[in-house]
Amino acid sequence: MSDIPHSTRFEELLPAYALGALDLDELREIEEHLAGSCGECRRQLGLWNRDLEELAASVTPVIPSETTRARILRVTAGVAGAAPSPRRLPWWISVAAAALLAVAVWGVAGQLRMRGDIERLKAERNSLARQVERLDREVTQARSEAQRASQALQVVAAPGVQSVTLAGLGPAPQAAGHTYVNPLRHDALFYAFDLPALPQDKTYQLWYIAGGKPVSAGTFAMDPGGIASVKVEQLPALASIKVWAVTIEPAGGVPQPTGAMVLKS
Amino acid sequence: MAETDKEDLQLMSRVAARDGVAFTRLFELHAPVALGLLSRILARRMEAEEVLQEVFLQVWTQADRYDADRSTPRGWILMLARSRALDRLRRRDASRRREEVVGGEQADTVPPVGTERIEGAERQHQVYSALKALSAEQRRCIELAFFEGLTHTQIAERLEAPLGTVKSRILLGMNKLRQALSAQL
Repeated sequence: MSDIPHSTRFEELLPAYALGALDLDELREIEEHLAGSCGECRRQLGLWNRDLEELAASVTPVIPSETTRARILRVTAGVAGAAPSPRRLPWWISVAAAALLAVAVWGVAGQLRMRGDIERLKAERNSLARQVERLDREVTQARSEAQRASQALQVVAAPGVQSVTLAGLGPAPQAAGHTYVNPLRHDALFYAFDLPALPQDKTYQLWYIAGGKPVSAGTFAMDPGGIASVKVEQLPALASIKVWAVTIEPAGGVPQPTGAMVLKS
Repeated sequence: MAETDKEDLQLMSRVAARDGVAFTRLFELHAPVALGLLSRILARRMEAEEVLQEVFLQVWTQADRYDADRSTPRGWILMLARSRALDRLRRRDASRRREEVVGGEQADTVPPVGTERIEGAERQHQVYSALKALSAEQRRCIELAFFEGLTHTQIAERLEAPLGTVKSRILLGMNKLRQALSAQL
């Protein structure tokens, strides 16, 4: 190996050397020079090779046959990660396709799972709504009963209160009524039990007869528990009240009793 | 360094470590162009496919000898292909070669594979454009050297041109090609 100084002569040989076009004498000359320490020529040779790479790559690509492909990729058989099976698609397409499929399956499964969850939650929500509605009714009823009990306690526990019992008649023989009259306050509290529920165009109306004339003490409807109560105020003197009665009247009540009597003291 | 070159370098180092997936990837990326080059040089599809097998067997077995300072992985593969094809060419009768041109065997040509390397078609177009900057004589001399492996003297004989003229055409043509590629790539 000799160290021949760099010169334009060698630079001019480089393109043909890269092409492989040099005849034997020039080939030996440049190879001897390159075997030395001429970095510039090696750098330039690298550039020429890069240009020729572009020239080589400018050809029209040709897809290898499946047979060739399989034979070539078979060389990696037995090596971890090798993928020699014949196929036309680049491996990354398969990987991407598998990933997309997994995402799609996961997405569909997720959607179905979510849809199932939503349906289940809707059903639970409806069930809870029904429970809340029922509890609300029960609370309202309990509050109403508590209020009524409190009123009853106040009336019944008051000194001088007198109780009048009403018995069921005709269509409701099992029904009963109680009127608690407070003579000092001139009011009363009436309770009805077990009267049947009426159509919407009908109402129960409470009467008392004083001075020979029926006086309306108010209308009422039975609650779901089969109980009803009416607070009666501005009663006349207890001694003047001879009878307590309940009739079935048109909705809204009437000034004078017209319908069937269902309770009477 | 282009992203494609970086990927190629990573693939080469994995292939050197006997990574079959990387080898498959390298094959998918570069086999079509390598086969295109082999077909161009050998003009016989089946022979080109045989040489392609030899080339990639060499890539698999000698990837650890690849020198990144001397060429890109693509350049290494293509020069391996060219070298093997020219060896084949020299061993067979050049006069018969032209009689069996691809006529009977339609080449299965396609656009460059790998949509992530779609710039391949653009680069190909740029090289075509660069070659247009050369005179027909310059281009012919370079093609005879590159695709047929002829030396200065052989080209001169083939073209019946003075040796000095051929040398000059190649030198000037290569410099023009350099300038045109530098301007475009």
